[in-house]
Amino acid sequence: MSGTEEGHIISLDRFSIGFQKGKALLDSIRLSVNPGEMVALIGRNGTGKSTLLKSMIGLLTPLGGDCLLEGRPFGDYSLPERARRVSFVSSQLTQLPSLTVGELVGLGRMPHTGWMGRLTREDRDQIEQALSEVQMGVFMDRKLDCLSDGERQRAMIARAFAQDTPLMVLDEPTAFLDIPNTYDLIALLSRFRDRGRSIVYSTHDLETAMMCADKMWVIHEGRILEGAPEDLGLSGLFNDLFSSSGIRFDEIAGRFLYSRDRKGSIRLEGDREEALAWTRSSLERLGYGVDQSAPTTIQVESLPGRTQWILQEKGGSREFHNLYSLARFLIQKQ
Amino acid sequence: MRFHSRAVFIIYILGLLLVALFFLDLRLGSISITLGDMWGHLLGRNTLSEQELVILTKFRLPRVATALMAGAALPVCGLQMQTLFRNPLAGPYVLGISSGASFGAALVVLGAGATGIVATWSLAIAAWIGAGTVMLLLLFVSYRIKDVMTILILGIMFASGLAAIISIMQYFSQASALKSFVIWSMGSLGNVTGAQLTIMAWAILPLLLVTLAYSKVLNGLMLGEEYALTMGIRIQRTRLIIFATTSILAGTITAFCGPIGFIGIAVPHMARFLLNRSDHRILLPASMLTGMVVMLFSDIVSRLPGTEHILPINAVTSLIGIPVVIWLVIMNKKAQSL
Repeated sequence: MSGTEEGHIISLDRFSIGFQKGKALLDSIRLSVNPGEMVALIGRNGTGKSTLLKSMIGLLTPLGGDCLLEGRPFGDYSLPERARRVSFVSSQLTQLPSLTVGELVGLGRMPHTGWMGRLTREDRDQIEQALSEVQMGVFMDRKLDCLSDGERQRAMIARAFAQDTPLMVLDEPTAFLDIPNTYDLIALLSRFRDRGRSIVYSTHDLETAMMCADKMWVIHEGRILEGAPEDLGLSGLFNDLFSSSGIRFDEIAGRFLYSRDRKGSIRLEGDREEALAWTRSSLERLGYGVDQSAPTTIQVESLPGRTQWILQEKGGSREFHNLYSLARFLIQKQ
Repeated sequence: MRFHSRAVFIIYILGLLLVALFFLDLRLGSISITLGDMWGHLLGRNTLSEQELVILTKFRLPRVATALMAGAALPVCGLQMQTLFRNPLAGPYVLGISSGASFGAALVVLGAGATGIVATWSLAIAAWIGAGTVMLLLLFVSYRIKDVMTILILGIMFASGLAAIISIMQYFSQASALKSFVIWSMGSLGNVTGAQLTIMAWAILPLLLVTLAYSKVLNGLMLGEEYALTMGIRIQRTRLIIFATTSILAGTITAFCGPIGFIGIAVPHMARFLLNRSDHRILLPASMLTGMVVMLFSDIVSRLPGTEHILPINAVTSLIGIPVVIWLVIMNKKAQSL
């Protein structure tokens, strides 16, 4: 499934990872990252996401196989040479030193500075650029322990960006973040990708990955599958992923639904697309399918400044002024 | 990164303090030698008597030089350990390196009962071997076990085990040997004489330069070993250098001065607090400077100016260092971040 063209930034061949010979977490993997590509590594906890990322960049010893960085075996590079090609952001946020944001991002310049770590004009420019990339220019002199989780993670990512490497590897960068911060961060990584960096990051969050990743690596049942998010969706993989949990991937809507037992079907009428879409999503959440031949009808009427819903059944009709009261009625009716 | 006027100001103040304490320490003693006379002699005006000159060059200058070297070396050991183990409570004492040196010294003083110059040399060598052995043990363990907390706990166990063995040796030793060991274990800056001072300077000064050259690498270690590796730091080599410099520095000071407690652990925190910086390129020299100031101050206090008594230096440094450590433990939030 992996591309056959030359010029991969990193490629794995018959790569095996794990902590004990004979007990590989993942065996004989074949994966690749092209320059300027964003790859999301998806998998449940304990399936080996971190182990894969760390084995790939030399933080753990792989059980076997080849890892080529820009076409050369990874082991042939010296540590400083690696540090100028691959940067890393770990999933752990604990025990940060009381550095300022500027000092932290400055550490990213280590592989580029001399033995005393003197920062040149160019290094300072890189630091300032990295901070403005993550929109933290004004945080330069702020201490790390005075930052929120989201800001701290962005500062850590700015450090990796300042390292100025063609490949950035991030282990669960959104693990500690709330939803707005998660979206911010993924958008940030996408911008880096648009600047020509290659990004590999691991996450649980399939939805944001589907929005932005060029390619996904999905660990499922001891195997790893590679492809564009849409290819994997088409193969039905996403439904298999969550088959045990009551979550269902709606291939048509392209999103996840919590599937309840089917309660029945309802016919929808109305002319405003947006109102119809939200009504449909509310009904699906309650376990109703939308079927234009169903006996029960909901008429969605858009009036000036408000919307109303008219439920027509055999027994008569009822009027609702919001989706919540409609939903309450449907639940109580059961 | 930028011009930090606070750090520059603090270093300036520390420098002034150092010069002032240096001359004060030289001046104080049973025979008071004034600053004016010292200065006059330096200018070649022969303002010092023969006797005063002997006191200055044979007793006071060596003692002050010893204080300066101990003050510079011990905080370096502490700072390197704190950064490597990412633990604010690490230091040569906690890791058992000083205990190793003490054990070596105990073997010589309590076991062999040697006296005179032979004793001094065998004491020094035994302390180096003791410190080095604990260092090698820790180094060996750290190759196998990556978790720095485990190594820290092992260090504490080494230290406690060695302390237990030393107390058994004390129990079975003769009164005179016991007395000289107890005096050694109180610590003294005044027993380091000419040739020993030269050896001490040769062991310590080059290593201090080595540690300064490694300050950039220490910065890279602050985020932990994974980050250090991905920033191009050769972690095994760095560990080796940190362990080696620490054990030789701490072993040398312990051999010649006896154990000097809490300077190694407390001074880096004082420097960090004063400068409000964690960049080792400034923190390391600032710790040396702070350590020298604190050691000179401790030496002056230990001589109880105006009296004939001299307190054990180890007691004075402990009384200065312990409040800092208690403050660290109580301010636990701060203690979690170096």
